[in-house]
Amino acid sequence: MITIDRVSKTKGRTQILYDVTFEARPGQVTGFLGPNGAGKTSTLRILLGLDRPQRGTALVCGRPYRELDRPLTTVGALLDGSGAHRARTARAHLRWVAASNGLPDSRVDEVLEVVGLTGDALKRAGRFSLGMSRRLGLATALLGDPEVLVLDEPVNGLDPAGIRWMREFLRDSAEQGRTVLLSSHLMGELAEIADDVIVIDKGRIVIQGRLADVIGDHRTLEDAFFALTATEAGGAW
Amino acid sequence: MNTTRAELRKLVTLPSLRLTALLTWTGTLLLTFAYASAESRGEPLGHDAALAPLGYTQAGFLVLGVLAAASEHQAGDQIRTTLLAMPRRLPLHAAKAVTLAAVTLPLAAVTAVTSTVPAGDTARTPAATAYLILTTLLAAAVASLVRRAVPAMVLLLSLYFIAGPLLRARSDTIAAYLPDTAALDPSRGTAATIIWTLSALTLAALTVHRRDA
Amino acid sequence: MVRLIRAELRKLLGLPTAWVGLVLGTLMAPVVVLLNAPYTRRAIAAGTLTDTPDLGLRDLGIGLIGPVILGVIVVSSEYTSTGEDAPGARQLTATLTAAPDRLRLLAAKTTALVLVVAAQAAITAAATLTLTKVLYAEHAPAPAPTRVVAAILYWVLTALLAYAIALITRNGIVPLTLLILNSTVVSVSYLLTKVTDLAAYLPDIAGAHMFIRSADFPVEIAPVTAGLVMTAWVVALLAVGAVLFHRRDA
Repeated sequence: MITIDRVSKTKGRTQILYDVTFEARPGQVTGFLGPNGAGKTSTLRILLGLDRPQRGTALVCGRPYRELDRPLTTVGALLDGSGAHRARTARAHLRWVAASNGLPDSRVDEVLEVVGLTGDALKRAGRFSLGMSRRLGLATALLGDPEVLVLDEPVNGLDPAGIRWMREFLRDSAEQGRTVLLSSHLMGELAEIADDVIVIDKGRIVIQGRLADVIGDHRTLEDAFFALTATEAGGAW
Repeated sequence: MNTTRAELRKLVTLPSLRLTALLTWTGTLLLTFAYASAESRGEPLGHDAALAPLGYTQAGFLVLGVLAAASEHQAGDQIRTTLLAMPRRLPLHAAKAVTLAAVTLPLAAVTAVTSTVPAGDTARTPAATAYLILTTLLAAAVASLVRRAVPAMVLLLSLYFIAGPLLRARSDTIAAYLPDTAALDPSRGTAATIIWTLSALTLAALTVHRRDA
Repeated sequence: MVRLIRAELRKLLGLPTAWVGLVLGTLMAPVVVLLNAPYTRRAIAAGTLTDTPDLGLRDLGIGLIGPVILGVIVVSSEYTSTGEDAPGARQLTATLTAAPDRLRLLAAKTTALVLVVAAQAAITAAATLTLTKVLYAEHAPAPAPTRVVAAILYWVLTALLAYAIALITRNGIVPLTLLILNSTVVSVSYLLTKVTDLAAYLPDIAGAHMFIRSADFPVEIAPVTAGLVMTAWVVALLAVGAVLFHRRDA
């Protein structure tokens, strides 16, 4: 369960998030939709304790990220890139991450297998292609077998097989009771997997609800999005 | 503790650190040889042959500290992974310092021995070892503030090898306040080294605690 | 080619660290001359300072950190990771896409570096020597123009030395550390000259002969020979760097 309550953030002198409020529930795939620069990544970074908001709270299972003990067992995050140092091998990277949260080294081989990187375990992360980097990032997120998954543009850089694999993986995760929050600007893709949708534009939440409700009378999610963000007056719910 | 284990694994799997360690020790060996050979030729290179090589190879320890800390921010966004896995920043910072000191200890000891023993001055080996470890920690603190290796090195090299000698030549009193005086003269400036290092570490800890990742 | 050089100049001058190098390189020598003025005056009056022909020129060495930084940053900036998406991609990829002929690219980079460092060296030499003249009047004869040119050449060659080493090792830390360490008050090369006469042919020692008259070197090298020795070092290292750059993966 993820609860974001009236989060506002200023970067330098520009305000980038205005009273952002929403929830992501367990057992659902929640899609966080918005154009580039809308504030999706900023919100996620605040949720994950990487950045501080000026106001508001972001809670995972009722607690701020920084207060979680062994956070990787609760939340698995996939942000851009692999998060690994260029000169380290994939295995060495996963091993230190595993150690940091008291996870057994056997998990390293398990997650490498899940994402299909077993053969590349001894390659340096700097030699990975874009797709391989994302898979390494996902492997890192899965090390702790977390109940919450937070993914920022997860299909970015994946080939069609990879995209399909990700889609099924996220649906299965939700069906197993996990909370899945993913952000994207690819509306077609999001419409395939999301149960709940939150639309953000220019730092404000424009609409949120079940996928069908957000689409409403429009033909597609994309049509709905453009219609909803066309009016400047759209305020936060 | 988990954090320490993780940081330890990080340090021993960073190839550039191993290379730096090797080069530093080799450099010390060569310089010690140079000093000894000059003495035997009747042309001593001046003052303290036991510690003088360290005055140069301490640069290697600066590099060690800078690379260890800067590696979080360069060549990939590892700092993000680190903060996601270990979000409490003050304990993380402390664990990083402790592991770096632990990993540096063998190199520092070997280097100090290489420099002091041939000159027959083993009494100062422990002090030299401690100095080198503190220097590494200071460099790491600076690099975690600056977040990039080259600027951090420019800063440190300027202080240690340009500003330091200049200031030391002008005034003995200033010399006691500089962090690197203890390299050549442990009887003075030891307190300075310790205070500089602790201050840098504290400043870095506080900054990292509040800063966006 | 001119287009390439202009692009490289713009790139270089757009780097904040480059400006650090420029400022340090330009200001350090004059500042040190100023700070040391009272001591130097006393030493001259007491007759303990004997190498007055080198006054001013000798202090230029302290600003060498500037060209070293510039030489290093020209290369190391290309090898910084541009983003997390593909850590293997670096600015170098974009640069090579725009200018695939690697040797021409290197030539452009080298030219840009030489221009910037030569300009900086000229400014700092002028400042330092003028200051020296003002401070010590009759005790410091104005050095012959050829010596000043030699000093500027020394600066440019030092920058190229840093640049070549950075090219070979593909990182900035090694040349930065080695060369700054060596430009200190007692340089490593100088130490080595006490051990073996061969060390007198190291680039920075040999090169100093171009414009310093009265330092304590074991081997006397004529200024022109000195210039050739240092240039030979630089050319050799640049050649190795160029070959490696040409053949390696980006």
